[in-house]
Amino acid sequence: MTEPRVIRFRLNGEWVQLGVAPNELLINVLRERLHLTGTKYWCGIGECGGCTVLLDGEPVLSCLTLAVDVDGREITTIEGLATGEDDLTPLQRAFIEEGAIQCGFCTPGFILTAQALLRENPNPTEEEIREYVRGNLCRCTGYVNIVRAIKRAASEAAKSRRPGPAAGAASG
Amino acid sequence: MSAGGRFRFVGVRVGRKDGVLKATGRATYAYDVWLPGMLYGRILKSPYAHAEVRVDATEAERLGAVVLTPRDVPDVLFNPRLVSVEEDTFKDWRVLTEHPRYVGEPVAAVAAASEEAAQRALEAIKLEPVRVYKPLLDPFEATRPGSPAIHERIMRGGAWVNVEDNVACTLEYSEGDVDRALSEADVVVERRFHTNRRYHLQPEPKVAVSRPDPDGGVTVWTTTQTIHNTKILISQVFGIPQSKVRVKKVFLGGGFGSSIHTNLVTLVAVALSRKARRPVKIALTREEDMMHDHVSFEMYLRIRAGARRNGRLSGAEFENVMDVGAHQIQPYPLLGTALGWFVSLYKWRAIRYFGRAVYTNKVPSCALRGYGNPQVTWAVETVVDELAEELGVDPVEFRLKNYVGKGDLFWGQGPTVKSIIRSDGVPELMRRGAELIGWRNRPRPGEQTGRYRRGIGVARGFHTSGAGGPLSGSVIDYSGAFLKVNEDGSVDYVTALQDHGGGTLDAHAKIIAEELCIPLEKVNVVWSDSSTTVYDVCTHASRGVYVGGEAARRAAREVKRKILEYAVRILNVAVGPEALRVRYDEELGDAVIYVEGSDAQTTLSEVARTAWQRNWGSISASVSFRATAAPPSFTAYFVEVEVDTETGRVRPVRVVAGADIGKVINPELAEGQVQGGFVMGWGWAVLEDTPYNPETGALENMGFITDYKAPTAGDIPPIEDFRVIFADTYEPTGPFGAKGIGEAASNPVAAAVANAIYDAIGIRFYELPITPERILRALRERERASGENPPRRRGVA
Amino acid sequence: MNRFNTHIIPVEFEYHEPRTIREALELLARWGEDAKILAGGTDLLVQMKMRRVEPKCVINIKRIPELDYIREGPAGVRIGAATRLRRLERSGAIKRLFPALHRAIGWMASVQVRNMATIGGNLCNASPAADTAPPLMVYGARVKLASVSGERTLPLEDFFTGPGQTAMRPGEMLTEIWIPRQPEGTGSAFIKVARTAMDLAKVNVAVALTLKGWSAFNVRIALGSVAPTPMRAREAEAALEGRPPTEGLLRRVGDIASEEIRPITDVRSTAEYRREVTKVIVADALRKALGMVRVGGGVG
Repeated sequence: MTEPRVIRFRLNGEWVQLGVAPNELLINVLRERLHLTGTKYWCGIGECGGCTVLLDGEPVLSCLTLAVDVDGREITTIEGLATGEDDLTPLQRAFIEEGAIQCGFCTPGFILTAQALLRENPNPTEEEIREYVRGNLCRCTGYVNIVRAIKRAASEAAKSRRPGPAAGAASG
Repeated sequence: MSAGGRFRFVGVRVGRKDGVLKATGRATYAYDVWLPGMLYGRILKSPYAHAEVRVDATEAERLGAVVLTPRDVPDVLFNPRLVSVEEDTFKDWRVLTEHPRYVGEPVAAVAAASEEAAQRALEAIKLEPVRVYKPLLDPFEATRPGSPAIHERIMRGGAWVNVEDNVACTLEYSEGDVDRALSEADVVVERRFHTNRRYHLQPEPKVAVSRPDPDGGVTVWTTTQTIHNTKILISQVFGIPQSKVRVKKVFLGGGFGSSIHTNLVTLVAVALSRKARRPVKIALTREEDMMHDHVSFEMYLRIRAGARRNGRLSGAEFENVMDVGAHQIQPYPLLGTALGWFVSLYKWRAIRYFGRAVYTNKVPSCALRGYGNPQVTWAVETVVDELAEELGVDPVEFRLKNYVGKGDLFWGQGPTVKSIIRSDGVPELMRRGAELIGWRNRPRPGEQTGRYRRGIGVARGFHTSGAGGPLSGSVIDYSGAFLKVNEDGSVDYVTALQDHGGGTLDAHAKIIAEELCIPLEKVNVVWSDSSTTVYDVCTHASRGVYVGGEAARRAAREVKRKILEYAVRILNVAVGPEALRVRYDEELGDAVIYVEGSDAQTTLSEVARTAWQRNWGSISASVSFRATAAPPSFTAYFVEVEVDTETGRVRPVRVVAGADIGKVINPELAEGQVQGGFVMGWGWAVLEDTPYNPETGALENMGFITDYKAPTAGDIPPIEDFRVIFADTYEPTGPFGAKGIGEAASNPVAAAVANAIYDAIGIRFYELPITPERILRALRERERASGENPPRRRGVA
Repeated sequence: MNRFNTHIIPVEFEYHEPRTIREALELLARWGEDAKILAGGTDLLVQMKMRRVEPKCVINIKRIPELDYIREGPAGVRIGAATRLRRLERSGAIKRLFPALHRAIGWMASVQVRNMATIGGNLCNASPAADTAPPLMVYGARVKLASVSGERTLPLEDFFTGPGQTAMRPGEMLTEIWIPRQPEGTGSAFIKVARTAMDLAKVNVAVALTLKGWSAFNVRIALGSVAPTPMRAREAEAALEGRPPTEGLLRRVGDIASEEIRPITDVRSTAEYRREVTKVIVADALRKALGMVRVGGGVG
């Protein structure tokens, strides 16, 4: 049974079916076979968070996930959040505007991890943010603007959740 | 341009231009390049620290892999970094070698249809040791007579030179009468320092994709900070004309010096692809990346410095022994810049310098953010702190009295690159920083009791903006830009400069938009290659904004001159181009060209369209630019730390990071550079090192980052305790007054942290990193020496 | 060294995805030593990339529902071996009843790893630094081992036999961890010393004690990363047992624990440092545990 098995999973909202060998890793299936290269390899051993994807909405490491293991599950990669300028998520926008992106190699992993955080905990404290993203390494920013961007996305989401007097009445 | 000196884009916060690509995972890094029919390559690394080996690849070939052995590559010696002039370039590398000199040195390579198949082929190669030498892991042991020669002879430029006692190269220098200066000094301090051997841990491990082209050339996508030098080196090693070597610019997942040179992986990929006649991609794994050619220079520094009662420095002796590892990636110019860092921090008045680079059987050293500057600054800023204390002078005032500043001759990049300092924010940064951190009320060394002790430290530093100067010198440094106006008035900007993430190209786009008075969105930064750009030496030495930005500005000015010439023809009223003015019209989203006191006006888009429709020709400019100065960007950091005297753990409590980078072009990105510089420097100060196994000569961690820890988001102070301040300065030689930032941001960190630790517990450390193990041992030793009760008996958490 | 490759899993294996414990045990019986159980994968796949293990067969137990549960009963809590750490971290019962375990899990690796790694996997990996081991040991946890021929349980502290080695026999699989409810008046704490916020321990310690009147009873101290296996510091425990936990005594207990451990120097730290810091964090952890009892029954 070292031969390929056919798996079927939902990838960024669409069902995908393909044959994978038991030792194939999810990261390589995404990158090499499906050409979704936003998922990055940094270390391959679970120390950096660069290859983070969402598995049924929870952040996991695609470099330590066998592809066979996602059969029937739902995977979201960075490509699944937005296609360009028009449909950026509030987190992506905050990352861009707060200077949270430098070389950009850690950015997909950070954004996906932060997305899961805000879903679990829409109003995290700064300490909770730092705890949650401590498994995502960044060598450029010193994390300050990243934490700031996550905070900003959270507070913007909170503002839009709060029922205002009328649409568009929120003052800046 | 700006009404009343106000800028529209320069100095304004706007999201970075490549932000959308990066935030959506669409930016293409070398690692993401995939070509049809591409093979995957793997490199066979030497398991021996120093040996002569025989490669038997029969089995790998039988598996169907393309195999490359040392016999398959050109017998050419080279230095992977082209930055010095040829006659000052020492060459001791080969693409593959049967005489590996460190654990991890490439010996052979394979390519196959998948990474799995390549891995199997790699494991099928037999490596037979013919002769194994004892690894030399210490530069002082290496220079002892009788130690095995790591290299018998190497090349300097085109000539062979013999290597004596494993000394790679040396530099000596003196100015003034040091002996007299020191004998007349009122206080003299002599200290020996030893730095760590740090790994870049740049996010993207090194990658190369090489495609052999039908014309006999190659096209290459690789992690490089310099597409042109990579082109030149490939051409030199393989004998391909430079016009047939196309090095493509791709996003770079962090540089920090790791790709300041052309990495071996690039040359191996080229060789493999030429042999396979197919595209080949080699992506290093993280563990390979750490073992290949890739750590900072480990330095042993000795400083003997004196000062007078009047608070002035009088002279210094500086000795620098660098453990460069098994090969040279330009330690020779570093011997000069290390001296440059030293003399350009303070006015020593008399100096004597001995610099020597020594081979060992360790991973070769290359530049790492600062090119020796953080190491030298740590030593100097410790000694300066100690001299101030001996003299009973405030360390801030002592620094202000002695630093090299405005009007002084400055040669940060070494004795061949000199210019005068024209902008200087040091006094402002020191005074404001001191106030913000509460310098005057800081604790004094040794006065605290209790388990947790806080301390505040200061250190200053600088880095040059490039390596330009009025004389040609021995360092190559010039840049170029090509700018063309499209037929609708938008512009394409073509540059060889690489943006490692710091925002260099955003700064260029802003400079162009500012100069041409057009919206930033109309400036397109083209993803180009070495065949469509004019030469730029490298994105290094914090020169991207200062040198490359000035080239862009000059190209924009040249383009503007042509625009105005055409505008004269369109308006048909002005006496000449000099009568025209240009302003940015936000509503139109265009540059409006007008004549003062008249209704006559046109726009850039109209000019562009008319020039096209009437066959006047394209508006474009190509510029090659050499800066005649390399002005220092100054930094001054104040850091508060807390030391747990029972566990030796130290934590950053507050940071005030001050930077003088001239006019700030990208505020949020410049701030990010300072924050990132601090955090990287923090890692160097207290965490990072790559120790070796003395028996095998291999890295103790075998390249795995499980045991190369860098700071995480959980290890730094809260946002509100991390202040970044910029000095209000203007560099007259820089584009819109700007200077560089990248390296200045991390240079003083280790020193400020070490001084803060001293302030907290009264102990100085002369070896990096200052780990809890070292702190606790020092505290215990002091207790034993003084018979003092352990402090924990006096206080409880 | 040339065999490492963290891009891929450089070994081939047969793959099985049993749906019941029975099926898994049958596979184990068939494959014996050649099989490895894949639970979270965060240790096993790393070891395969580093070529420390090269199983011929991988048995993925993630899809066995009967291994994934947290059940609170009157005597204690039962945890299925394939329960992910993140689920334990978010469990109200674990946080309320076993605060030291809750703290240890929250301090482990990253949220991504905790979403993948399982409690059983962390124990079976048998790392001397395993963060879940010391708290489970001080709570008196027992583990259930099953094979085709039956089940047995043993105290967790008898489970570890050496670095990477356990008391499991060929064909056996860890199926459940049982943690007894702690008596009224019990406080517990966990402390870890590491290089960064995301690291293996240089030293970790868990303590639990029950305060009756002015004295501490049922004192348990367990340490990790200071010996070939996670270990109890029994002499240190005895020094405190039945006595009032005065400041001086707590420090002495730390000193005794420091004498009991058998640390080595490795790339993470030195033996000397581990000894020094053990003194401190054992006393710190005891103070913290006492503080928890005093504020009300060890609720974290």
